[in-house]
Amino acid sequence: MVIEILLTILLIVVVFSVIMLHVAYATYFERKVIGHMQVRMGPMRVGPHGLLQPIADGIKLFFKEDVFPETADKPTFYAAPIICLVAALTSIAVIPFWEGMAISDINIGLLFILAMSSLAGWGVVLAGWASNSKYAFLGGLRASAQIISYEIAMGLSIVGVMMMAGSLNMSEIVKAQAQSPFGIYAIPQVLGFFVFLVAMLAETNRTPFDMPECESELVAGYCTEYAGFRFALFFLGEYVGMIVMASVGTICFLGGWTGPFEVPFFPIIWFMLKVYFLIFFFYWVRATLPRYRYDQIMALGWKVLIPLALGNVILTGIMKTFVWH
Amino acid sequence: MSRNEERIADVSGDALSEVFEVQMGPQHPATHGVLKLNLVLDGETVLSCKPDVGYLHRGIEKLSENLTYSQSMPLTDRLDYMSAIANNTGYCLAVETLLGIEAPLRAKYLRTMICEMSRIASHLLWIATHALDIGAMTVFLYAFRERELILEMFEELCGARLTPSYPRIGGVRQDVTREFMDRLEKFIAEFPSRLEEYETLIDTNRIWLKRTKGIGIIPAEQAIGLGLTGASLRGSGVDYDIRKHRPYDAYPYVDFEVPIGISGDVYDRYRCRMEEFRQSVRIIRQCMEQLPPGPIIADDAPDLVMELKPPRKVMAGSTGPSPLKTALIRLVEDRQAYMEGDVYVSTEVPKGELGFYFVSDGRGMPYRMHIRSPSYIHIGALGVICEGELVADIIANIGSLDVVLGECDR
Amino acid sequence: MIIQYKKKRGWLGTVFLVEILKGMGLTLRRMLSRSVTRQYPEERPEIRIGFRGQHALARDPVTGGSRCVACMRCAVVCPSRCIHIEYKKDEQTGVREVQSYAIEALRCIYCGYCEEVCPVNAVILTEVYEYAAYKRDAFYFDEEQLLKNWDRFIEESRYDPTKYVNPFWRPRGIDERTLAGPRRRSVPDDWKMENQWVGTGMTKSRKTGARCDVGGH
Repeated sequence: MVIEILLTILLIVVVFSVIMLHVAYATYFERKVIGHMQVRMGPMRVGPHGLLQPIADGIKLFFKEDVFPETADKPTFYAAPIICLVAALTSIAVIPFWEGMAISDINIGLLFILAMSSLAGWGVVLAGWASNSKYAFLGGLRASAQIISYEIAMGLSIVGVMMMAGSLNMSEIVKAQAQSPFGIYAIPQVLGFFVFLVAMLAETNRTPFDMPECESELVAGYCTEYAGFRFALFFLGEYVGMIVMASVGTICFLGGWTGPFEVPFFPIIWFMLKVYFLIFFFYWVRATLPRYRYDQIMALGWKVLIPLALGNVILTGIMKTFVWH
Repeated sequence: MSRNEERIADVSGDALSEVFEVQMGPQHPATHGVLKLNLVLDGETVLSCKPDVGYLHRGIEKLSENLTYSQSMPLTDRLDYMSAIANNTGYCLAVETLLGIEAPLRAKYLRTMICEMSRIASHLLWIATHALDIGAMTVFLYAFRERELILEMFEELCGARLTPSYPRIGGVRQDVTREFMDRLEKFIAEFPSRLEEYETLIDTNRIWLKRTKGIGIIPAEQAIGLGLTGASLRGSGVDYDIRKHRPYDAYPYVDFEVPIGISGDVYDRYRCRMEEFRQSVRIIRQCMEQLPPGPIIADDAPDLVMELKPPRKVMAGSTGPSPLKTALIRLVEDRQAYMEGDVYVSTEVPKGELGFYFVSDGRGMPYRMHIRSPSYIHIGALGVICEGELVADIIANIGSLDVVLGECDR
Repeated sequence: MIIQYKKKRGWLGTVFLVEILKGMGLTLRRMLSRSVTRQYPEERPEIRIGFRGQHALARDPVTGGSRCVACMRCAVVCPSRCIHIEYKKDEQTGVREVQSYAIEALRCIYCGYCEEVCPVNAVILTEVYEYAAYKRDAFYFDEEQLLKNWDRFIEESRYDPTKYVNPFWRPRGIDERTLAGPRRRSVPDDWKMENQWVGTGMTKSRKTGARCDVGGH
């Protein structure tokens, strides 16, 4: 029993450090990818080709002054970034990286992740409200509306996957997927996959749905008043959120850890490649698309994505009842 | 009732709603310098938008009252620093009219060519920031890639990239070199394909269309009433371009068309400016083909070191013959004739109509210089068109009116 | 000319996000192409002759000092009045001797008027553009510092100090006879007025004659 607990703690520490390393280099990767898409080079100064840039950024943010606005609501102001990061990190616990390798392989894995990503939205709303700044307030309001509506679209888009796999357990989903005719659900669930991709961008507040923090209108939205390490916590939360969403996409639609062939000693490789691809997709979209307006995002969510996802659910139901059975 | 009025009526009828005042700027990433907007919001709807200008006031008009005509010229670089040469040319034309000098033909062609280059440079910065404000940040860097080429050409021509001070009263300072012309030729051959790149990214993009179509509509009559000029006016469908209707420099000798919009929204203003890029390329090409030989500065052009004379009489508010006529009374005693009277000359700079108004008392410095700067007038329109729209639309509107605060505040 | 809109997207284009995919294709293509930025301290920009950078007084190879004759033209023409010259006039000969020559670089707006009006090619804005300092005093260039600036410029550039001609000293495309004696220096061929670049085609709308009636107004 004690050994089991110790092993779990060890696993948590290992996963946590690997994820943090990934987050750090996700920022580097983002700057490089977007830089090259914009015919420039991205970070080049710190280390060869700027490889040490994320570390330098971390050190800088850590040692920056922690500015606290006088009129802010102190406890909430402090709690908000922690909620964001914790909610995002907790989601990692249920993600199976390869066969049987998850910190906690619970049966309601998908629901848990949806719940946690909503909780991250709560952190954003609190941050916007507690800062007592008008820009942050508007950002918080936008965030709450956006996260609630896209939560629905995202949940519905995954329903099709749940129906096909017959389980909410993520490992089960991957296993069911491997036995399905195409090997991945992205093909039979193409509509669901599309809705998921869009909702994924909106959930993590990425362009073209970066309303809560869009810098050209609201300066920095909900994190306008945050500085130093508290800002870094939001930043970490956002990037962990991206990794979680990419992992969910990989598990639900792209076949998780399964691949065209087995890789000995390193079974996580397919999972990682797929997650990297989805993260690259985040950056790619960011480099290409302009930003929606707030009311247009709402319209897109409620008038296009939710009906599409519902249609997908009905279609999957019909197929499941009459064709695949 | 228009859509905007409906929105305002909608929110003001709501007893529970509480208005919300936001001071947007002067330190704000999207207000193009130091523009400040006093917004009254109801949620995201703008109830009123009052621009607050003057944060970049350097007193250029007042400064020039103590500087000779040629000394004030570098100050005009600092008006609209996106297209400094166009300002210089406008200033020089005004002083030339005052002093009764005419630039030689070659100088006129050179000025036209360089002005169109600066129009491209200015519009590139406009498309860059406009797209960045709406969120398409890649266009920003693609546009800067091309702008860099133009600025490098300016550097080769006159030694500075941003503040060239290239034209002189009565001509231009430097002649072009062969290398410069080769580079320019290469640039204009390549530039249209670069324009297509920007258009691939935004022109038909559904998000871009949603953000710009039907936003910030200025009907033609209102646009005239607000005093808009340049592409902001033409986007509303008014055919008014000083290059065409009161041509100066070499514009009468070149063929070009003035793009006119239809609906007067942000998208039409955007399309107009994109079309102007192509027309500028056309003008530059014709100037290069037609560039005549000859001197680049008029024989009777004043020396840079202008001598000062005691003032004869103050002309402001005088009741003499018509102002233009008084402006053209030439003093014949000496070569550096300083006119008495007043003169207004306007040119089409990338932002709109830039006018210089001088009251001269004949001492070699303007008694009063007034600059009719398009940005100042366009910012005035901002408050009118933003009312009833959403916060995000303000940003699109600022971008589409193409204001620069250096010129607005002077 | 009424502006043309691009063709409206059809329902196929809407469903398959054609225009968005095109845009993404472009960014992907650009990602694989070469970047255009310069890695500045290692890769230096090519500064072209006539760039208006740090101020200097040209060192006269004969006397070793500056060529300035204290005519005061630069001090008078300077729009920001940042040039301060003190001189002593010899009562008999009328020759002026420069006592001090100073430029306040922080006031300067780099218009280049001073070098343009200088009759003896003394003051110059060099091509040196890196001269940051920690103190404001460092930007008050006195005569000695200005001469040192010239030495630095000559050292860093490829020019021969005896043959160097700045395009503000001797503007391109100007008739040499209109210039003061010391400014008539030998220049590259395409700076001369006779060799100016002339357009090839004389197209339709050009009227005859060099002067025309549609000038300023």
